[in-house]
Amino acid sequence: MIRLEKVQKTFGLGTAGEKTVIRNLDFEVEKGDFITVVGSNGAGKTTLFNLISGSIFPTQGKILIKGKEVTRDPEYKRAKAIGRIFQDPLAGTASNMTLEDNMMITSNKGFKWPKISLTRTMRQSFQEQVKQLEMGLESRLKENVNTLSGGQRQALTLLMTVTSNPDILLLDEHTAALDPRNAELVMALTKRFINEKGLTTLMVTHNMNHAIEFGNRLIMMDQGEIIIDVKQEAKKQLTKKRLIEMFSEIKKRDFENDEVLLTS
Amino acid sequence: MIEGIFVEGLIYSIMALGVFFTFRILDFPDLTVDGSFPMGAVVMAACLHQGVNPVTGLLLAFAGGVLAGVTTAEIHNRLKVPHLLAGILTMTMLYSVNIRILSNRANLPLLRVETVLTKIHAWSEGFISAEWASLIFFLLVVILIKKGLDLFFITDMGLMFGALGNNEQMVRTQGVNPAILKSIGVGLSNGLVALSGAFAAQYQGFADVNLGQGIVVSGLASVMLGEFLLRSNRISILTLRVVLGTILFKAIMYLGRYYGYYINMTPNDLKLIAGILIIISLAAANIRNKKEKNRS
Repeated sequence: MIRLEKVQKTFGLGTAGEKTVIRNLDFEVEKGDFITVVGSNGAGKTTLFNLISGSIFPTQGKILIKGKEVTRDPEYKRAKAIGRIFQDPLAGTASNMTLEDNMMITSNKGFKWPKISLTRTMRQSFQEQVKQLEMGLESRLKENVNTLSGGQRQALTLLMTVTSNPDILLLDEHTAALDPRNAELVMALTKRFINEKGLTTLMVTHNMNHAIEFGNRLIMMDQGEIIIDVKQEAKKQLTKKRLIEMFSEIKKRDFENDEVLLTS
Repeated sequence: MIEGIFVEGLIYSIMALGVFFTFRILDFPDLTVDGSFPMGAVVMAACLHQGVNPVTGLLLAFAGGVLAGVTTAEIHNRLKVPHLLAGILTMTMLYSVNIRILSNRANLPLLRVETVLTKIHAWSEGFISAEWASLIFFLLVVILIKKGLDLFFITDMGLMFGALGNNEQMVRTQGVNPAILKSIGVGLSNGLVALSGAFAAQYQGFADVNLGQGIVVSGLASVMLGEFLLRSNRISILTLRVVLGTILFKAIMYLGRYYGYYINMTPNDLKLIAGILIIISLAAANIRNKKEKNRS
């Protein structure tokens, strides 16, 4: 589904502040994979997502999506295949527009012509979709999105992203900005939607329990490299303790100051 | 005089709808308006003097405005210039272009040529006075444009403009190139502005390259005044209040022009008044936002 070949990303190339955030990365994602991505701040997790979605381009190397090279394609050209959710609940919706407008905007991808698709049947189907969230939003389709709470907005963003049927779902700490109750709620919805649709997913998380509990593969990034990659059966056996041991073995250094452990 | 306020209000509300489109929907503060408004006027005047059909003249004026808007958007898109600077560049260049369109003149009277309005007046003569005929004509034109915009903004493309103004990332995530949307949006907006200029020239009986001075400020003041009249998130109300705001703005300007001498005001002070109106509106909006934040 996604293949990165010897991808390198250096910011400020040729300046004093030159910094390589992704180093010679080879990485392949199979169709139907649900990969959790962990690593401390600055490990390159978000940069990896930015490279896949095309909001930045690699300094070296190739990126392929669905077998097609997209290394230099701008973000909007790849967007048909990719659904991305950010940490900020405001990033996925248009605040000053109604729920139904937002849902209409995200209901199909690609260039939009001036034709009216927001019909009664469309509104009814939005209502049905929103019911799945069990947040009582079905009666609020004509309200602006900025009247919703952060948790509701993120749940709505998730719903809108999933119903646009992307090939790849990128979740960038999408529950980190929510309170614990809403975070669990959005996480449960995430799991349900991914299972229902069999979506190929990459999820960055700082929550070690989530990283171990969810998905069929776990990668840990450190200083721009994937240092741990646990798949399938091995992933099922994985515990937090084992993961920490693996990290210490590889890096010959302790884990203690990494905030990966902060949310346990 | 009261009809005059309404007629002018209606004519300028077409321009204000364009300003509303860029400033409020696209979040693209576009200063091209100061050049595209007189451009509409001079294109119309040039057409009428060439004996071109007035309707064709209006279409050409609209097209000229679109072109001006697209120029601004493309300068912004391709050269990564901030929108304000891109607008100022186009606006400044248009000053020369407009003089060219008038064959190296700064103004052109339209008293001896047939305009849309003289046609209307010739047709309505006997039923109603010329002023009322103009009023009814512009009322119909503005209703048509307003309804058209209301419909446009609920189409898939129209909604996308709203998304662009709120959250550009969302547009990219949807697989749409924001640059193209900006060109279409700013183009259409300036098309409306130029159309407004074309009507204004015919109503006033002359086209002048300086017609546009401060137009964007008066448009913005009209939009902001309207926002105090009605509160809603429905697009039909949002466009309605732009029209009402413009009429209110024109009424305030009339009062300033005719009764301002009581407080030693001259017509030269009107631009100052327009600016102060915007500042008051901004301050009032700030206070209102703060109150709402405290409440929630």
